[in-house]
Amino acid sequence: MDLAGLRSELKSLIVAELNLKGRDPQSIEDDGALFGPAAGLGLDSLDALQLAMVIEEKYGVRIPEGDEARAIFASVRAIADHVARARSA
Amino acid sequence: MRLWVTGLGLVTPLGAGVEATWGPLVRGDRAIRPVRLFSTEGQRVALAAEVEGVRAPGPGWSRTSVMAAMAAEEALRSAKLDVRSRRIGLVVGGTTGGMFETEELLARLHAEPECRDALAAMISHPLTATGDRLGERLGPFARIRTLASACSSGANAIVVAASWLLTGEVDAVLAGGSDGLCRLTLSGFNALGAIDPEPCRPFDIRRRGTSLGEGSGFLVLERDDAARARAAAPVAELAGWAMGSEAHHITNPAPDGALVASLVERAIARAGLTARDVDYVNAHGTGTPLNDPMEAAALARALGPEIERIPVSSSKGQIGHTLGAAGAIEAAITALVVQRRTLVPTAGLEQPDPAAPLVHVMGRGREVSRIRAAISCAYGFGGMDTILVFTSPGLGAERSEDPCPVVVTGVAVAGTCGLAGSARCATLPESPFDPAGGIQPDDYLDVGRARRLDPGARLGVVAVEHALVDAGVRSPATGVVLGSAFGNVDGSAAFMHRIFDKGPRSASPAEFPNLVPSSPVGHASIYLGLQGPAFATADLGTSGESAIVQAVQLLAAGEAERIVAGALEPHSDIVERVLASLFSHSSALVGAHRRSVAAAVVLETLDEARSRGARVLARIRRTLEWRDDATLALASLPAPAGPRAEVVLARPNAGSEALLDGTAWAACPRVTCSPALGESDGLGAVAIAVAASRIAAGTISDALVVGLAQARGYAIVLSAP
Repeated sequence: MDLAGLRSELKSLIVAELNLKGRDPQSIEDDGALFGPAAGLGLDSLDALQLAMVIEEKYGVRIPEGDEARAIFASVRAIADHVARARSA
Repeated sequence: MRLWVTGLGLVTPLGAGVEATWGPLVRGDRAIRPVRLFSTEGQRVALAAEVEGVRAPGPGWSRTSVMAAMAAEEALRSAKLDVRSRRIGLVVGGTTGGMFETEELLARLHAEPECRDALAAMISHPLTATGDRLGERLGPFARIRTLASACSSGANAIVVAASWLLTGEVDAVLAGGSDGLCRLTLSGFNALGAIDPEPCRPFDIRRRGTSLGEGSGFLVLERDDAARARAAAPVAELAGWAMGSEAHHITNPAPDGALVASLVERAIARAGLTARDVDYVNAHGTGTPLNDPMEAAALARALGPEIERIPVSSSKGQIGHTLGAAGAIEAAITALVVQRRTLVPTAGLEQPDPAAPLVHVMGRGREVSRIRAAISCAYGFGGMDTILVFTSPGLGAERSEDPCPVVVTGVAVAGTCGLAGSARCATLPESPFDPAGGIQPDDYLDVGRARRLDPGARLGVVAVEHALVDAGVRSPATGVVLGSAFGNVDGSAAFMHRIFDKGPRSASPAEFPNLVPSSPVGHASIYLGLQGPAFATADLGTSGESAIVQAVQLLAAGEAERIVAGALEPHSDIVERVLASLFSHSSALVGAHRRSVAAAVVLETLDEARSRGARVLARIRRTLEWRDDATLALASLPAPAGPRAEVVLARPNAGSEALLDGTAWAACPRVTCSPALGESDGLGAVAIAVAASRIAAGTISDALVVGLAQARGYAIVLSAP
């Protein structure tokens, strides 16, 4: 799958797993901030943990903890890049 | 009147018994080691503090119940209290209950879904089992309450005990908590990344989480006049307390600690003391990155400059976080600190975090010249916080016993009838049954804000919100108490099945907090911004009655001005299958398909209802409860006050007819709720909502609601205001 396809899949995963009812997955911007009160999705640390678990399960890619995770979860693009990089490694 | 602690019992990872715990506790010993109780393959962290030598006295006992019996027996023995000779109550706080044993049954059911033995055995481990076991072994008790508020359960058991003593309904109360370690909690806390890979280090800059523990603590609390009459001596006095909800987040504490700070202030004020009288704080101190600085900030805010003098420590570096037992175990430790004038340390703390500036007790404990007042703190998932203040006897204020009258100001029932307020509830028993009826909670919720709520919590929140709408009030000064017979069994089963299939790393961090019995209550307080007392109760088929009666008792004792209380009984596939496997021989219960029901009533003190000009539906004239034999309780059943009295029942019931025979209510008409709503364990709370609504509508002047389940019962008398 190309990176654009992966990003699209991740957006659907975020909406389904975090139960963001009524949210169109494709309305999530590739580079928009996902977490924090200013990000618009209202996601917090508990969502980050859930997302890390699901990504690990679906793609077999571990999300490290702490500051590294913060960078990976900065945006959908950053997550997709991390997943693609880790899978090709 | 004063409330004395006259007995203590402890079972902790440091040792079984008060003395077996105390020596190692003061020395700074630590009991956090690799888990041996079950396989920890695939767990991120496999350290915890286990209790050794837990041996069941018979089949069907959970570890949680065994530890509770050990601690409760010691508490009664040290108080030299003969349960049979007096009116003694029992309050058990817990969260995990028999989950360790249930996990083994779930594993069997995972492999063989129709395994009848495993299904039938599931019935042995509802949350109520511990109270029932203690009743059989140590009782009979005049009343038994089972409550859950996650990690503040044990502390809230003590607050409930205080409310019972203040309203003069019992002479003494055995109150505490018990929680056993299990795969579900270890997997769940690991999923949250909340467990330190090293034994936990509260307040240390290197801390990375808590360590789980297990154990039990019980206290005997007694009115000083009753204790003096039998020449019993106090260990310490329970002088102050306060409970409330942060209404912030299901797992994370509000970082400013504002609610905790206000509870500390209220608890000290309730004791008639000031920060200058406080000589020690036993902190919640979990060792998680978020808890410890929040707690330090809250204590500084509440205690002011005195915080620079007052030693603070957390016991969790030694015994781990004992979850539902923690509030009771640490209350007992705090009472011992007062009695023995000896501080206990924070083990594991070597490099204090400047973000949590406190006077720490590092290394070993030490004797000091005096401990006048000491504070014990407990905070639970959902932000349910409780503060207790223990003092040396005689230091705190005397308190008067003058129960506040309690009234019903709003109701809501959600079930096959749709969503009904007081206007419709007045005629609910006469409504036709709609087998296809029900509500879609999402039609009534902001689905964005409700996204973390499971179906049960959604139903509960709708009922709580609409009871408040019916009462015409929306204020943070409101508590929530909901009863549920079995809790979230289906959610726990699904959580464990994922672990059986894919290993502990697949445990869902988002689902884990929803498995706690008090999670719907926590969600309701967060969603609706309610900051009053919040917890769940459980009492089999009378869980709704237990919640409502408990709320009345808390209001009567002045713990709150308003509490929404009721039953939350969502349909559960597993409960249906368990009951079908048990009762397949009994044709009466086959096909008794239980319907989802949530019923809530808004209870307020008469003063609060008056001051806000509320419409009063009915007044609560009397609540009674009993175990086994109802004779003594029903002897104080008042006769109807007005001309048109009715008995409102969940369902037609030969047992309640036998009880009413010979009372002043025997000839009154009967009204039942099951023909209109279908069968549910929540119908007892529906009956109370219906009774209040019929009084408000002028249909009747008085109502008696009788709720019965296995060897337990409640009676609630309502009258026109």
